[in-house]
Amino acid sequence: MKDSALFAGSLIRSESSADPLTHLGNAKKKANLGACLTGDPPEPVLPKRQRFWGIAHWEEPKVFHWKAAATALAMAAMTITGGAAQEGASTLVLGQFIAPATFDAPGAEWGNRSLYFQAVYDTLLNVTAEGTVEPFLASEYSYSEDNKTLTLKIRDDVTFIDGTKLTADIVKQNLERFKNGGGPFAVDLVNVESIEAPDATTVILKLSAPDPALVLYLSHEAGVVASPAMFGAADAATNPIGSGPYILDTAASVNGSSYVYKKNPNYWNPDVQHYDNLKINILADPTAIVNAIQAGEVNAIKLTGNTTNDVIEAAGWSMNFNELDFMGLLLFDRGGQQNPALADVRVRQAINYAMDREGLLQAMQQGNGTVTTQVFKPSSPAYDPALDQMYPYDPEKAKQLLAEAGFANGLTLSMPSTAVLGAASFTLIQQLLGDVGITVEYVDTPAENYIADQLAPKYPAVFMALQEDTDWQLIQFMLSRTASFNPFKYGDDTTDALIKEIQSGDPATQAAKAKELNKYIVEQAWFAPFFRVRIGYPSDPNTSVTVMPSNAVPSLYDIKPKT
Amino acid sequence: MARFILSRLAAGIVLIVVISALAFSLLYANSENVARRILGQQATVEAVERRTAELGLDRPLVVQYGDWLAHAVTGDLGRSWFTGELVVTGVTSRLAVTLSLVLGATLVSGLIGVTLGLLAATRGGWIDRVVQVVAVLGFAIPGFLIALVLVLVFAIELRWFKATGYIPITSSFVGWLSSVTLPILALALPTIAVVAQQVRGSVLDALHRDYVRTLRSRGLNEVRVVWKHVLRNSGGPALAVLAVQFIGLLGGAVIVEQVFAIPGLGQLAVASTTKADIPMVMGLVIATATIVVIVNVLIDLAQAALNPRIRLA
Repeated sequence: MKDSALFAGSLIRSESSADPLTHLGNAKKKANLGACLTGDPPEPVLPKRQRFWGIAHWEEPKVFHWKAAATALAMAAMTITGGAAQEGASTLVLGQFIAPATFDAPGAEWGNRSLYFQAVYDTLLNVTAEGTVEPFLASEYSYSEDNKTLTLKIRDDVTFIDGTKLTADIVKQNLERFKNGGGPFAVDLVNVESIEAPDATTVILKLSAPDPALVLYLSHEAGVVASPAMFGAADAATNPIGSGPYILDTAASVNGSSYVYKKNPNYWNPDVQHYDNLKINILADPTAIVNAIQAGEVNAIKLTGNTTNDVIEAAGWSMNFNELDFMGLLLFDRGGQQNPALADVRVRQAINYAMDREGLLQAMQQGNGTVTTQVFKPSSPAYDPALDQMYPYDPEKAKQLLAEAGFANGLTLSMPSTAVLGAASFTLIQQLLGDVGITVEYVDTPAENYIADQLAPKYPAVFMALQEDTDWQLIQFMLSRTASFNPFKYGDDTTDALIKEIQSGDPATQAAKAKELNKYIVEQAWFAPFFRVRIGYPSDPNTSVTVMPSNAVPSLYDIKPKT
Repeated sequence: MARFILSRLAAGIVLIVVISALAFSLLYANSENVARRILGQQATVEAVERRTAELGLDRPLVVQYGDWLAHAVTGDLGRSWFTGELVVTGVTSRLAVTLSLVLGATLVSGLIGVTLGLLAATRGGWIDRVVQVVAVLGFAIPGFLIALVLVLVFAIELRWFKATGYIPITSSFVGWLSSVTLPILALALPTIAVVAQQVRGSVLDALHRDYVRTLRSRGLNEVRVVWKHVLRNSGGPALAVLAVQFIGLLGGAVIVEQVFAIPGLGQLAVASTTKADIPMVMGLVIATATIVVIVNVLIDLAQAALNPRIRLA
C-alpha cells in the first residue's frame, strides 16, 4: 500500500496518474514559439552609435570581443553538455518525482521511494519482478507448521560500508527499531510479537497471528538493515550506512534535487550492481520530465501521467508500462450508517451498472489502462477475468435495480471532491450517476484533507485511486474490518470466515479462498472500480527495465545496460 | 540619514511580525488531520493522537503562535514535520539557489533593459520601434513559455545548457552556469521589457527638460549630458521598477523552478504547501517577507543617494 496509499501525502502528483498539472505538449511548443525567437536583436549602426557610446577606438574591438566571447561561451557550453551526455556507459541517471523523506531505516518506504533505499541498503529477502520471494541477506527462511514462527538464516559474508560485520543481533535490532520507530510502515510488523537472535546467523520472529504478507514486507521497507552506527545518530536522516550496492555521496547530492551514489567496492552480491555510478534526479513537473528525456539527461524515469506518452515514444524511448492502481468508487458505507440506501446491495450494484467504464477510461486516462470491476490485480491468485463482465454499462438495469430497492424516485449521495484529482472526473461521475437517478452532492475538499476525511469517515462513498497490492496486503488495506480503507469497519460472516481461512491456510487454500472472497465482494458490490491505470517507467534505447507488478517503480536490480 | 534607515527598518520588522501572525493563523486554521497526513493512513488512531499532542496542535492558536514566535526570534524556526529537516537549513539552502536566479535575472534585466531603453530614447527611429516591439512581446509572453522555448532550442536541440537540475556553484562554476543560464534568461526577458520601457520613457522625458537644453547650450558633450545628467535623473523610476520586478521575480521563480527542476524556494513552497508542512511554510513566509523588506529599504537608500530630495522627505 505504498504510494497510492500515500497518494495521500502528495496526492495526485504521486501515483495518481491523473495528471492535473500537465502543461503544453512539446510539439505545440515547437509550433507556436519558434517564430518568437527569430527576431534578431537590432544591429546598431556604427557612425550613429559614436554619438553616445563615444570613443571610436574601443568601438570596433568591442564588437569583436563580443563575438569572440559568444563563440568561447558556446564552445564551453558544448564541452559541459558533451560531458553530461557521455556520463553514459557506467552511470545510470534516473528520474523520480518524489524525494526520500529520510534515509533512516525505521522510516524506510517502498513504492516510489524504494530506489533510494535499495541503492544503499540490502533487505532480508527480495521479491522478483515475477512476484517470487527469494533469499537475500537471509540465505534461507522457513515457517513453522502453524505459520506463527518465521526463522531466518542470515548470511555471514556481509559487511556494512563502515566495516561492521552483519550479524543476527544487528538484524534483530533493526527489526525492533522498525517496529517501534514510528515510521510510516511500522504497522508492517504489527503481528510480530518477539524477535530472537539465538546465534550469530539465526533470527526467529514469533508472531501473534499468521501474516501471509510478512515475507513481502521483509523484502521491502521492513527488511531494510542498517549499520548499528546509525542507531540514534544525529545525521541518520541524511547519511545512510548500509551494506547495499551503492554508497550515497552526501557531498555531491543536493537534498530534494539530486542523489548521487557510487558503487560499493566491497559489495557481497555484484550480480545486481550494473553501474559504477547512480544518480537519481527529482523531476516532478511533466514538462521538466519531457525536457530531461529529450535533452538526454536521464536514462529512465517514473512518469506521473499519460499525457506526454507520444512525445516520449517519439524520442525513441521504451514505455515499460505497469498497471498498479485502480481508479473507481469506494462504496464505504455498506452497512448504511450514513446513507441507508447503500446498505441495499441492489443500490451498490446499480451504481456499478451506471458506470460507462470505457468512456471514463478514455476521458480520464486517454485510454491508458484496462477496464475492470474487481480490485484484485491480474497477477494475483484471487483474480478472475470472468468477474470483469459482471457489470456492463447498462443504465436501464441500474434504474430497474434502484426501483426494486425502493428508490424509483432516485436518491442522494454525498461525496468529497478535490480540484487536484481533476474537476472533469467528478463531473463525469456525477453525470453518469445522475442519468440513473442518483444525485451526487459534492463537498469540495482541500487536497491535503481528501484522504483523512475519507478515513474519518465523513462520506458514504468516494472517488479514489488505490494501489492493487498482493492479496493479503490488499485484504488488510481495504477489505478486513481493521483495514484503513474500510473506515466503517464493515464485514459479514462470509468475509470474516474467508479472511480467517486465507490468513492461516497453506498457499493453495489461500489462493482458493482469495478467489472466493474476490467473487463475493464483486457480487456484493463493495466497490465500483472503473479501470486499472497504466503508467510508464520509460527508458532510453541503452537501458533495459523490467517493471515490477507489485511496486510503483522497478527493482534497482532490474534496471540494466542493454547488451 | 541614520534616522531614515532606522525608521524604515523598524517599519519592516513590524511588517514581518504582522505577516507571520497572519500566515500562522491562516495555516493553523487548516491544521486538522496534520498528524494523520504525517503518519499515513495505516497509522492507528492512538498514534495519530499522540503525534498531534507531540506537535502541540491541541493547544489554543494564540499559545501556539506565541510559542513559535518565542523560538523564531532566537532563530529557531523548528523542523519540518514531514522530513525532520531543520527549517532554517531547508530554507537557507534553497534561498541561495533562488537568490542566484533572481539576482542574476535582475542584473541581466537591469543591464539590458537600461541599455535598450537608453538606445531607444536617444537614437529614436527604427531602433526605438524595434525596442518597442520587443518590449511589447516581452510583456505579452509569459515567463514559463519563454522557458519552454529556451529549453527546446538551447538544451534539447543545441545541447548547450542543462534542461533540468541544478549544479551548486561550489561544486562546479561551469556546471552552475550551464544550469542557471536558461532559468535566468526565462526570468529576465519579461523584466527587460518592463525596464526598457520605463527607462525609455523617463529618459525621453528628461531629454526635453530645460536643464538639458541649458547643458547643451553650454556646449557640453552629448555623451556627458546623457550619461551624467539624464541617466541620473531618470534612474530613480528605473530602480523602483527593478525593485518591484525583483519581488515579482521571487514569485516567477516558482514556475521557472518547476519547469527546470531546480531546488529553490519555489519548489520547496509547492512541496511544503501541498503537504501542509506548516513549520516549513512559516519559514518560507518569513524568508520572503524579510527579502521584500530588505529590498525595499535598499531601494529607498539607493533612491536617496540618487535624489537628495527624498532624503529630506
